[in-house]
Amino acid sequence: MKVSRKTAILFLLPNLLGFLVFTFGPVFFSLGASLTDWNLQEPGQTSFVGLANFAELLLDKKFWLYFVNTVYFLLGMPFAIAGSLFLAVLLNQKIKGMVAYRTLLYLPSFTSGVALMILWKALYNPTFGPINQFLLATSRVLHLPMDVPQWLLSTKNILGLEPEKLGMTGTQFGIGARDALILMGIWMSIGGSNMLLYLAALTNVPEDLTEAAQLDGASRWQCFRAVTWPSLAPTTFFIITMGLIGGLQGGFEQARVMTGGGPAGSTTTLAYHIYSKAFEEFRIGYASAVAWILFAIVFAVTLAHWKFGSREATDL
Amino acid sequence: MRGAFLISVLVLCIASVAMWKSQPNEAADGRTRLVWTSDDNPLRKEQVELFNQTNRDCQLVLDPVNSQIEKVIVQSIAGVGPDLLDCRDTNQLQAFVKAGIAWDVTEELPKLGIDIKKDTWPVMQPMGVFENRVYGVPTNCAPNAVWVNEELVARCGVTIPRTPLKWNDLIRLAQKLTIRDSNGQPIQYGFLFDWWNFSHFLLTYGAQFFNEDGTKCIVDSPEAIEAVQLMHDLIYKYKVAPSPVEEAGLASQGGWGSGTINYFGAKRGALALGGRWWLANLRKFTGLKLGVIQSPFGTVQTSSAAGRVTLINKNSPHRQEALKFLAFLASKPYNTLINSQADGIAAFKEYCVGADFQFDPKHPDELDNDVWKDAADRSSYQRTSPFINGGLANQILSTQLDLVRIDAKSAQAALHDAATEINFEIKQSIRKKPKLREEYDRRIREAGR
Repeated sequence: MKVSRKTAILFLLPNLLGFLVFTFGPVFFSLGASLTDWNLQEPGQTSFVGLANFAELLLDKKFWLYFVNTVYFLLGMPFAIAGSLFLAVLLNQKIKGMVAYRTLLYLPSFTSGVALMILWKALYNPTFGPINQFLLATSRVLHLPMDVPQWLLSTKNILGLEPEKLGMTGTQFGIGARDALILMGIWMSIGGSNMLLYLAALTNVPEDLTEAAQLDGASRWQCFRAVTWPSLAPTTFFIITMGLIGGLQGGFEQARVMTGGGPAGSTTTLAYHIYSKAFEEFRIGYASAVAWILFAIVFAVTLAHWKFGSREATDL
Repeated sequence: MRGAFLISVLVLCIASVAMWKSQPNEAADGRTRLVWTSDDNPLRKEQVELFNQTNRDCQLVLDPVNSQIEKVIVQSIAGVGPDLLDCRDTNQLQAFVKAGIAWDVTEELPKLGIDIKKDTWPVMQPMGVFENRVYGVPTNCAPNAVWVNEELVARCGVTIPRTPLKWNDLIRLAQKLTIRDSNGQPIQYGFLFDWWNFSHFLLTYGAQFFNEDGTKCIVDSPEAIEAVQLMHDLIYKYKVAPSPVEEAGLASQGGWGSGTINYFGAKRGALALGGRWWLANLRKFTGLKLGVIQSPFGTVQTSSAAGRVTLINKNSPHRQEALKFLAFLASKPYNTLINSQADGIAAFKEYCVGADFQFDPKHPDELDNDVWKDAADRSSYQRTSPFINGGLANQILSTQLDLVRIDAKSAQAALHDAATEINFEIKQSIRKKPKLREEYDRRIREAGR
């Protein structure tokens, strides 16, 4: 037993060392960096500034604007989760060729995110994009005059958020870049790992409970609502938790590939803001502070979700 | 089990050593390998080949993937940066110098017979000279002028005067040259321009981003507002240029330097603001009959100019060899190649004169090379401020211009907000750095404010 533990440690050591050097170390290094005014453009002039970076960012209007953007992007999460569940239920049917359907629907998850984003950028083209072409054709058929959305070129959004200050206004109400990214995000995540998780969970729903409900005269919807859905609670809890964490940390790829964070910063999230501060303005200290605040937000949201959202999940 | 572990470790060690040894540090034949981070312009290949042919002891390798400033700075600080790096504007030079990456070659260049201030176009010098120290040598000069599609212009029965136009004159011509179908959809635009060229418009109205001592952002000046309003009006009032929505359709046509260039090449625009470097793409279009006129102007007859200056990485182990590349940039074969490739025009003025420059037998239809030379001669540049990070200032300005471009904000309000925000950042910056504050106060005192 003693020998095998030693062997196990030896096997674990490379990974552990890698984790300590390349993950744990940098994370705590960044905490130290957040307390300095480290700027890559001013080597040798770094000094300890205490909590000044944190104070600055809390007073920074842009930080809050980008925080609102980040939260706005979470609006797509319920729809993505509902879509994944719907797809999983469909794929849980016992019909011919199911393996092929499952593979097809999981295909976007194999594809490079950047490639998909370039594809979506073309789909959203206001003039030639198939989405607007379809909308225009529909409006012609129905004789309904329609102003098609300008998608990635517009600062409008369904909540009417202003692009430059915190607040809402009627002139900004509509569909724009933020919503375009949300729609794309929903499409990308519906057939992904969430669907697989639900699919796995659905196979574990006790069949005897479903059968008992059916014998008692429950409809398919009632069976789903009273038996299947509660059985999926731990999976849903896990998916929401991971979705919140991923959503709050996300938005970088989309901004980098599709919008550059624009128009007028409307698709800049906190993750992109960190990159921008660190590698465009070279303010590593400040960027580290933003990263730690983002960590605190993610941690608090996850904790709250754990505390208030896990009862149903753990009761089962 | 322990045996398996040891074998795994051994295999990993051997693989690591093998990878380490196979690093392409020095060329196999003993030539010094120099890495140059520049863009992925296909013309670069021939330029690299020419250097390698004329410098047999070096092997120049292009690294376009790592040419962005953030990558160069981070990699250089980490000790794995390139030997040679391109700098595209004064903000970038300031960043490279402050980060301790740009090697001061003030004393080295005279030994190579290079005098930047005397030999190159003045507009290129601020990209290589910072606080009177020389850090790089210009690789080319790419001033803006107006491309004319002679065929489309003739078809509309319009004559383009060869004397310099004012913007109002251009608008009148562009309106005659804009053709739309019965549904109002554009068939041909009178004037194409890229929004990122806003600095050009500002300069032609004599507007600057910063005041002379760099202590204040003045991008909300009446001249700047007039320039940005013109850009807006070309799209929304006069409707002679594509809107952002229409422009999004142009960008989907691939290729290097795509978008407006390809659209112009496809005969969808009669006039276009651009550089001679467009020829790298335009030469691929058959049957184009092109002319060039000087850029229109508001109050100052000038142009903005793009281009690159190559710097040597201060931390490069091959600095002396890299100097050979700077000498190469000043040589006749290289500058002749630039003129022939139409990668802008030669940065060294002496190669932009004479019959060889005016007429290239390989491209007998290109008879307006003197216009590019004149444009380079009268080009000017935007001042920068040492009191704010150039990247941040650009970001603030771009955000506001985005709103003007999509017709969501007036030019006046956008530039006012941009100037207010940039000036706020300047105050923040000097508040945090006592040395910067001293310099700021000194400049204010000297200016008598």
